[in-house]
Amino acid sequence: MLRWMTLLTDDISRLASGEPILADPNPELAIGAARFSAYVGFGPSLFRKLGLESQMPSGFGPLPSFKVDQLQDQFSGGDVLIHIAADDPIVLSHGTRGLIRDSLPFASVRYSQSGFAHTPGMVPAGLTHRNLMGQVDGTANPKPGSEDFNEVVWIEDGPAWIQGGTQLVFRRIAMQLNTWDQLGTASKEEVIGRKLSNGAPLTGVNEEDAPDFAARHPNGLTVIPDFAHIRRASPQNVTDRMFRRPFSYEASPASDGTPDVGLLWTAYQRDMTKQFIPVQRRLDELDLLNEWTVPIGSAEFAIAGGIARGEIIAQALFS
Amino acid sequence: MPPAADNLGNDMRKIAALLTLLPLLAGCAPQGTVEITDYWVKSSEMSTQGGMTAVYGTITNTTGDDVVLIGGSTDAAGVVEVHQMSMIGGEMKMQEIDGGLVIPAGQSVTLEPGGDHLMLMMLKTDVVAGGTIEVLFDFEGAEDIILSDVVGKPAEGGDEEYHSGEMEMDN
Repeated sequence: MLRWMTLLTDDISRLASGEPILADPNPELAIGAARFSAYVGFGPSLFRKLGLESQMPSGFGPLPSFKVDQLQDQFSGGDVLIHIAADDPIVLSHGTRGLIRDSLPFASVRYSQSGFAHTPGMVPAGLTHRNLMGQVDGTANPKPGSEDFNEVVWIEDGPAWIQGGTQLVFRRIAMQLNTWDQLGTASKEEVIGRKLSNGAPLTGVNEEDAPDFAARHPNGLTVIPDFAHIRRASPQNVTDRMFRRPFSYEASPASDGTPDVGLLWTAYQRDMTKQFIPVQRRLDELDLLNEWTVPIGSAEFAIAGGIARGEIIAQALFS
Repeated sequence: MPPAADNLGNDMRKIAALLTLLPLLAGCAPQGTVEITDYWVKSSEMSTQGGMTAVYGTITNTTGDDVVLIGGSTDAAGVVEVHQMSMIGGEMKMQEIDGGLVIPAGQSVTLEPGGDHLMLMMLKTDVVAGGTIEVLFDFEGAEDIILSDVVGKPAEGGDEEYHSGEMEMDN
């Protein structure tokens, strides 16, 4: 594992600088960094295989099953995750190829799931990712770099290798667009609890406005319905929040035109047992959005703390 | 997190990079030196004990005189030779370079798969992906260079001789 991490660490460092990796057979494709980034995570099955269960961070382990789940093996699990991102698809493809090539002496590919977000500059600053149901997605996230973000995301204690690291929950969520598209705008907004135009809560004006869950229409019904996604997902205490980083995916449509689209939904947190799981349990109990969204893939990974130049990813775990 | 991509486009950045390259090299080595950068050793199904592999990298000569890579040594191999690939009788073949590989004054030469390389034969140990070996580069006209951390990289292609039964070695 340490030799593998040695190669990946050097590769990621070079790719993030827009340089070709060592032994790159196509160095001419290193045309720029394009905000290339990659990190490596380790699934519960890897800790089991290597007898390293004692090195798992607090709260980390296989997710329980949820009744909304229709998980498929081909999109789920895995020993080691490499999550690769870049603003340019050619840079991304070339970088991915290099990281796979340098992984083959140690592992085989279980799955590769491609996703996308907006082209930089496409949406106004401050507007989050708009998913393929049309919703503004990723609102109410902690701000990267803030004290709030640090407390939600970064692990501070436990085994040395995980300090400064985090826990990732990954869900591949299929969208039933054919039936979703039959709803009118008002219905779609009630399902989510936000306006489609700018992501503002139904009780507010701007995306960042805090939802008023107590607000009622003159007829007595709550403005944000009891079944609305944001009511069910909103934190019930200080710990059950996450940093969500959703991407969209699109596979080939069926012959009748039914789209195969959805989210590669990722969320980062200190402790998935205290953060993701309680939120997902509430959504599993009641969330009208479940009618149109089906989790078909799921995985969890522990992400090692960041490193300085000259260090190796997860060195303390595998030494 | 790397800096945001330059919206001017990659061509513009390439030009900027080229313009700054020469002063940087000169600035690093005012008296002139020979340096080896971006070096690696190939890890493949052939790079096991008794087998062979090759070391690659970029040799930069900022001195005022030509230097010649005439050979090398490593604990990992019984034989080390400077090889080149060339078209002989319509086929790519590799052979030892007579008199060594010249790195002209002020220039860089890249050892790469399919081109010039430092050949390691009769390996004494397996050369594995992500592992490191120590290699001495033997120069004429400059001090020898010892690289203690030449990393094994999985690589295919470029070196037909690794996989071809018809390969000829013209040592």
